[in-house]
Amino acid sequence: MHTRGPDQPLDDAALARAIAAAAPRVDQEAEAELYRRLAPRVRAYGLRHLRDAHAAADLMQQVLMMTLERLRDGRLREPEKLASFVLGMCRMVVLETRRGTARREGLLRTYGEVPEAMDPPEQRGLDEAKLSSCLERLPERERSVLILGFYADKPADAVARELGLSAVNARVIRHRGLLKLRECMSTNDGHS
Amino acid sequence: MSTPICIAPIPFAALVEYWFGELAPNEEERMEEHLLACAKCSERLGDLAELGAGIGSAFRSGAVWAVISPAFVQQLKQEGLRLREYRVAPGGSVNCTISATDDAVVSRLQASLEGATRVDLVLLDEQGQGRLADIPFEPAAGEVLFCPSAASLRKLPAHTAMFRLLAVDEAGERPIGDYTFIHTPS
Repeated sequence: MHTRGPDQPLDDAALARAIAAAAPRVDQEAEAELYRRLAPRVRAYGLRHLRDAHAAADLMQQVLMMTLERLRDGRLREPEKLASFVLGMCRMVVLETRRGTARREGLLRTYGEVPEAMDPPEQRGLDEAKLSSCLERLPERERSVLILGFYADKPADAVARELGLSAVNARVIRHRGLLKLRECMSTNDGHS
Repeated sequence: MSTPICIAPIPFAALVEYWFGELAPNEEERMEEHLLACAKCSERLGDLAELGAGIGSAFRSGAVWAVISPAFVQQLKQEGLRLREYRVAPGGSVNCTISATDDAVVSRLQASLEGATRVDLVLLDEQGQGRLADIPFEPAAGEVLFCPSAASLRKLPAHTAMFRLLAVDEAGERPIGDYTFIHTPS
């Protein structure tokens, strides 16, 4: 899936190995780098499953604390399978969150505080005025499909039923609308 | 240290389907493994999430106009949004406004839509005329619902606006109904 860039960075598995090999010492550089890489990925997973930025940030912190602790303990036998390992923990924490049994404080007691050097990555802000202007420029069907989809969090078949479309058509309209929005957001003339 | 490069990026359409939970479980599992191993694709998923949140936020804040569905209106009510609804029959008129405590206004144009393949919504007011071509509609619903931008409505002076629904096909266009909104600022 991945190849080395021109400066041949360590891959994720090599970082995982370095963290395990350093125990009981802490390889702060390797841990900080792995955290930097995994944090946005886990956060995106959290957004997809929890649909809430705060819950996704909590998930990110919990999963990464658990990941680093388990790597230090040598509990990942095949570092090449780091993604599966992290995915398993993401699923577990999402399940706990949904059951309402997740206790961040308890996890913090178990795994310790996140070092200051591993603060969560900053989120880029979206230009809301520009986005509104871009939305207003879309054809009616595209705007309706996107609003019903993203605001009401409905898949294409549900949106299609409500708007008298076929599911395939709703997907096509959604895709077209998103491409236009992205294009409009990336240009300098998005403001009304 | 830089991040390794993805040589098999997930197509954007597949990312969107993943976001909406439309993939088969095995496809979803494969995609999640990739996303957790791939900085570039997870960044693109994060961008999609941000764009989606922005779309929701733009609608919630009343910044954009949209044709919507009865089920969507129901959902807005269940979320506790304060809606001011105006239901107007063909040829009818209504006195309307938006107050400081309203989150949104919903205009419900009653219409016989059976047999229509394309419907346009034409706005006629003192400023001129505008046409929204090919609006979405569910023929069985018997109405067209739209939610004007609350932010724009709040800035409007007293005025009268007429909306006309038109059925459009190869043979031409025929009026479905005219609806008059007499707006007064609150």
